Order: sequence, then C-alpha cells, then structure tokens
Amino acid sequence: MNTFEKLRRKRSRSYTLASLPLVIFTIVFVLGPMVYMVILSFLTRAESWGVVAEFTFDNYADILEPVYLESAVQSLKLAFTTTIIVCAVGYPFGYFMAKLPEARRRLCVMLVMVPFWTSSLIRLYGWMIILRANGPLDSALMALGITDAPLKLLYTYPAVLAGMVYALLPFMILSVYSSVEKMDWSLVEAARDLGAGAVRAFLTVTLKLTLPGLMTGIILTFVPSMGLFFIADILGGNKVVLIGTVIQEQLMKVHNWPFAAALSVILMAMTSAMIILYRKVTGSKELEGAI
Amino acid sequence: MKKLLSIVLAAALVFSLAAVSGCSEKQETLTLYTWEGMFPQEILDGFEKDTGIRINYVNFDYDETMLAKLQAANGGDYDLVIADDYIIETVIAEGLAQKLDLSKLPSYDGINPVYQGQFYDPTNEYTVPYGAGVQTIVYDPEAVGFEINGYADLWNEQLADSLGIIANYRVINGMALKVLGESYNTEDLETIDAAGDLLADLAPNIRLIKDDYLEDDLLSGEINAAIMYTSQVTGAKMARPSLEIVYPEEGIGFGIMAGFIPSNAPNPDAAHQFLEYILDPERAADCFEYLGYYCTTLAAEQYISEEYRSFLTIPAEFADTEMEMIENISAEADSEHALVWSEFKTLCGQ
Amino acid sequence: MKRRFRASSVYLLAVLALMYLPIVVVIVYSFNSSDLSSVWGGFTLDWYRELFRDRAMGEALRNTLVLGVLSSLSAAIIGTLGAVGLPRSRIVGKGAVEYIAMLPMMTPEIILGMVSLAFFSLLALPFGMLTLFLSHTAFCIPYVYMQVKARLIGLDPSLTEAARDLGAGESRAFFDITLPLIMPAISSGMLLAFAMSIDDVVISVFMTGASVNTLPIKIYTMLKTGVTPKINALCTLMFAATILVVVAVSLAGRRKTKR
Repeated sequence: MNTFEKLRRKRSRSYTLASLPLVIFTIVFVLGPMVYMVILSFLTRAESWGVVAEFTFDNYADILEPVYLESAVQSLKLAFTTTIIVCAVGYPFGYFMAKLPEARRRLCVMLVMVPFWTSSLIRLYGWMIILRANGPLDSALMALGITDAPLKLLYTYPAVLAGMVYALLPFMILSVYSSVEKMDWSLVEAARDLGAGAVRAFLTVTLKLTLPGLMTGIILTFVPSMGLFFIADILGGNKVVLIGTVIQEQLMKVHNWPFAAALSVILMAMTSAMIILYRKVTGSKELEGAI
Repeated sequence: MKKLLSIVLAAALVFSLAAVSGCSEKQETLTLYTWEGMFPQEILDGFEKDTGIRINYVNFDYDETMLAKLQAANGGDYDLVIADDYIIETVIAEGLAQKLDLSKLPSYDGINPVYQGQFYDPTNEYTVPYGAGVQTIVYDPEAVGFEINGYADLWNEQLADSLGIIANYRVINGMALKVLGESYNTEDLETIDAAGDLLADLAPNIRLIKDDYLEDDLLSGEINAAIMYTSQVTGAKMARPSLEIVYPEEGIGFGIMAGFIPSNAPNPDAAHQFLEYILDPERAADCFEYLGYYCTTLAAEQYISEEYRSFLTIPAEFADTEMEMIENISAEADSEHALVWSEFKTLCGQ
Repeated sequence: MKRRFRASSVYLLAVLALMYLPIVVVIVYSFNSSDLSSVWGGFTLDWYRELFRDRAMGEALRNTLVLGVLSSLSAAIIGTLGAVGLPRSRIVGKGAVEYIAMLPMMTPEIILGMVSLAFFSLLALPFGMLTLFLSHTAFCIPYVYMQVKARLIGLDPSLTEAARDLGAGESRAFFDITLPLIMPAISSGMLLAFAMSIDDVVISVFMTGASVNTLPIKIYTMLKTGVTPKINALCTLMFAATILVVVAVSLAGRRKTKR
C-alpha cells in the first residue's frame, strides 16, 4: 500500500467519525418515529380512540376519494406557485445582499432574520389586520381615491400566496446569499472579457455557480410549503383544502390516525421527488474533491 | 457574523444557566393543564396567596393533544385538566380520570343543574363544568336586508359571499342536519350525505370559515352574518350592541367545558382545592365575565354585573327551544362527516 | 464613501419594509385598549402591565430561548460535521442517511409530533426539556446541513490541499481553512434553525412535559379564548430587544473596523 492510499484511508476515517453524530442522531430520533408512522399507516383505527393492530391497505385505498386527491393537487399547485414567486423575489434579494459592503451585509442578514423571530401567528394576524376590509390598506387606497369600495383582499387565494411567500422568503434569501457570497467573481469578469453580455454572463456563469444555493432555497421553500396549511386556513378562510388540512383534521378531529399516517406517507413520497432532484444537483461527486 | 453570533450565544447561555439555577425550590404545586387564558390573573394569584400552593399552568392546543399526553403519562403528571365535553367521555372510558371527592367540594351544589348529568359524565362523578357555550347566529341588521330567525334563512341569496362560519364540521354539518329536522348525533350515513348536499347550496354564501376572531370580521364589515361560539358573540355584542343574536328556531346546540382530575394525578388534593376555589360564587362570576362563556355556576349569577348578565346566561324565553349536545358518534359516521366537510370547503373555494 | 442610491438598494429596502410591515401593526396594536383588532379603543399601556404580572409568561419566554439556543447550536454542530463528513465518509447507505435527516422537514408537524410522542414514550424518556431539545434538534438539522452542503460545493479544494501539504493535520485543516470558509453558511443555517425552534408549537406541544411551557405553546393555546394584545406587547418588547442587540453589535463591529 502506498503512502497516498494510506492517507486517503486515514482521511475517510476522520470523515466517517465526523458524520457519526448525524448518523446516530438521525437513526435514533428521526428514523424511529418515521418507521412507527409507516407501520401506523397499515393499521386499523379503533372505534373511538387509538388503533387496533390489524393489517390493512384500506387507508391507502381511502385516499382515492376525489376530494382527498384534489387536496393533494391543491397542495402541489400552491407549493409550486409559492416556490416560483419566492425564487423570483428571493434570488435577487440574496444576490444584491451578498454584493453589499461587509458591514452592511452583516446587518442585512440580521435584518432579514429579525422579523422571523417574532411569532409567525402574530405576524399573520398583522397581515390580517392590514388586508382586512376597511383596514389600513383599504382606508389608504380609498383616501387616495384609487378605490371607492373595500377590496376584499383577505380570504382569497392571492392572500394565501402572499402569506406563503412571506413566510418562506428568508429560506431562499439566506440560501442564495451564502452561495453568491463565496462566488468567484473573476469567472464572471472572464466571461465578460470574452464578449459575453451581462445577461449571458449571468446565465452561463453566475446562475450555474449559485445553483447549489438556489436549489437549497427551492427545497427549503417547496418541501415545507407542501405541508404548511395554517397560512391557507387563516388568510384563505379555510376555503383551500390542502393535504395538510386533511391530515390535521383526520388526526385531531376524526381520530383516524392510520389514514392520517397514510396521507403523510403519500405527502412524503411527493416531496421526495423534489429531494431526488436536489441530490442530483448537489450530488456527492462534486463534493468528493472539495475539501 | 461570527462575532455577532458568539455574543448572542454567550448572552443566551448565561441567561439559560441563570434560568436553570433559578427554579430549584421545592413547594407544593398544582399542575393545571388547559388552554391558555382560561382564568383571570387575579384568580390564579389569589389561589397561590390563599393556599400557598404554586400553580404550574401548562397548555394544550387541541383536546386530542391533551388526551394523547395524558395517555403517555398514564394519567399522571397533571393534577387538573379542563377540556371539552366530548373528549372527557373518552378520557373516562380510557380510565384516565378519577372520581371527585365531593366532601372536599362544599360549593358543588351551586352548579347549574342544566349543565350536569350530560352524556360525558351522566352520573356527575368525575367533572365540574367550567363554562358552556351555544352556537348562535349573529348578524348586522343594517347590512342584512331581512330578518334571520333560523339556520334555514342563511341559505338566502341576499347573503351571497357574506357569511362567516366556525371551522367545526360537527357544528356546521349539524346545522344542515337541523334544517333537515335531524339530530346532531345521527349515525345514518345517508342522512349525513343529505346534509352535505344541502350544504353545497350554501357554499356561494360562505366568505370565510375559521374558529378564531370571527367577531373581528363581523365588526370590520368583511361579513354580515356569522355562526359563532358564545365567547365571540359576547365580544362582538359588547363592541357593537346593534348586532342581532339569533337562537336558531331549528334548535340550539351547546357544549360544555369541564374540569376533571386525572387518574394518577400527583396532587389531587390541590386540584380539589382549586375547583372549590373557582366554584365560590363571587370568584366564579369574575371568571365567567373574563371568559365570556355561559356561567355554569347558578350561585354565581347574582354576582355577574349588569353589563354582562344578558350574555352569560341563556335568555329565559329560549329555555324551551330544543337544546342538544354534540356527542361522540361512530367512527364511520364521523369519517363521513369529515368527507362531507372537505367537499363543502372545496366548493366554498370555487 | 460615495452615497449612490442604487436600484439594488431600493429593492432590498422595499422588500425589507414589507417584511417589517406586519410587525409595525403588531407594535401599534399593543397599545390598543380594545382586545378586538377590528376596534381601536384608544391608547393604553394596560397590556404591558398585564404582561409583567404574568409570571408564567416570563418562564415560557426563558424556556423558549434556552431551547432555541441549545437546539440550534447542537443542530449546527451535528449538521456541519455531517455535511462535511458524510459525503466523503465510507458509511454504507450514506445517501439514505441524508434522506432520513431531511424527513422531519417533509413530514407534517402534527403527525411527526404524534408519532414522536409514541416513540419517545417507548424509549421511556422523561418528557420535558430533554425531549423538546432532542426533537427540536432533529428538525433543525436539515436547515444547517443543507446550507453547509451548498456552500461546500465548488469550494476551492486547493486551499485545504495546501494546508495539508504544509503538514496540517485533518482537524487543523478543518478548523483553520474549511470552517472559516463555511462559517456564513453555518450562521445562516443556525439563524433559520433558531427561528424554526422558537416558533415551533405543534411538535413542542406533544414533546413537552408537565412542567415546561414554551412561548409559542402559550400563544397558540390562547386561540380557544382569544389571543390578547398582551402577546402583541410581548412581541413588541422582544422585537425591541432584538433590534437593540443587532444595532449594538453592528455599531461595535463598525468601530472595530475603523480602528
């Protein structure tokens, strides 16, 4: 065995050691509950409370009820729309933020996070007050003569979208930011020197280099938004039935835990498609030589 | 960034160490498990001062969470729980509640018999009611061009996109059942489906469905009529007395919140003391004025101030209207309700 | 220094302004004497008075902050080590581990809370700060892990190579070269994790014991009786405190750079 080989072995041993806390923690405290959930999805509900250990596929068959299928479609639709808007708003924000001078950049990172250290429910109520009929926004618009009757903005789909975007924006901003911040700007200059226009240089160099950050932001937006439902409930007046709403109701109102578990497994399967895409972009191969 | 983080972290760690070292004294405690905001601060402080027992006030969001936690604790850890009627039936059935020692509750006789002997505790052995609520219709007569007398009037086209309802499917589907002349607690799937068909026609009138702050939407003009819980009615009516309260002619649904002592409560004695403390007529009056639910202590009614009295008791003229509690029904019927409800909500969004 | 008002700054400020808009509303309504947000009942400081009388609120706030710091800190350590180590380790099924680590993010909180309750009871762990800490760490890890991993991609390997060539050991190379390079990602991840932890209610309500209440639990469980403007007062104070810290730190940083 040559020295090089020995060195590589030693290195991978310390990497293995470094990842052990994650592996152990994940297997004990995440995998455990998850296995329980999957098992639960094949059990039978008890008449009033709890479950009976009788194996069944019925819980999965029950999902075929059109209104429950529709809720999955609605969740996908909302998650996609939200993610697209969050990208459109958050990417430029993270990009510009990374280009600020250092002191202001640090301040900006903090300023992005501070609102999110206030209870999300309380902030949602803040939006409700702003958007409500005859509320501050309506009054301002009417005083300026732009509208002459209350707009009825609240309890509509756009209100739900706005709330979702608001809640998930910092995930995109910070992901893009840490990717742009470490970017090698000389590559962009080189592209420009070679005659690429600003747009072309952005698309071929900047976007490509910041793709891992963008992809992280997309995951951190899309995945939670599949399960988020209380924003839709509060700002949408409960008129959008999302898969999260159904899970919540089955669990907490109907006491049908196995059906809720089956719905959750389906939800996870849907979001997994996104994770696979993410793993392609941030594939281990690119990381092998990184350090 | 690193510097900033380390400062924040250091500050927080010092803070947390101080926190851990701060609470080491041993004192008799009462662990009270219910929603936040169920008691005026004066009552909690007063109890601590009068008895020397420290109140450890911990909260749950849903009744179901409470039951799951109580089950995990095998009926221990918590001394006194206040929750909704239907879940208490399950709690008792699961053997997670203990019988009250009435000798420790001299004021027990002051409880309004209307709220006793109900389905969840037919023999009154386990629970002390703490507040009741009915579902009523509230509307703004200036904005609604006709008189509303019952649930059936809500289907009127004049209410298009201006009705707010609470997000409880047993109440709302139940409303349709009442219009059909059925019981809230029917387990007949076809009847429940028929109620769903009826609700489909109501969808164009629904502006919003939610449990919290419905009164704000009525006051702001977002909606003109609503089906609400009692505490919301109290809030709305106090802010704008011109609103009309309707006790639906089809029948009134009501619910009760009640306190019970878990089977393995660490300090059942303190729990009895607390129950006795809040059963005291004057204190009960304070509690109900604060809570805005119907007063369940008959002896307390005389102490309720004039301002609140009309909200905190069911008006005498409705006493003979048919009143029915929403009870637990079969799993199959409950699932059907949930399905009908999801379909209804989907229609409302279209 | 030139004071040019660039389009990019306008954009940053506009988005930031929108982010703070609901907080402004919360602050204004903390002085509203009516407990209904649709009614302006006049200016009052009563909610602040009531807040200071509520001892349990102070305890809940303390628990929330302790929990937030501890769980985001341990998520930062576990997540960073994992993101650096896992892809280069020899662990069988490391892809699966990464996927499992992300599951808490993909599972609706309510069912995650419920199955965790069942699972932690099975392990016979005492419910309270410990179970809260473990479950919060679990759902915080993905945020740090993903931020750090994204940062590592495309990082110039020659830097650590050079350090090693100069005889630095594995850990030296990590602490002196890699760690400073990925620090922005770790702090981003931690900030997000902290925000998730101090706002979590659904998992916490299942994971807590009979003696520990957190602030979000208190706020959400008020829904039954109505969230009082007392919470607005609390949020206002917390917000003011955070802003003070941020400003103080950024001023301190500026003085240091000037020197």
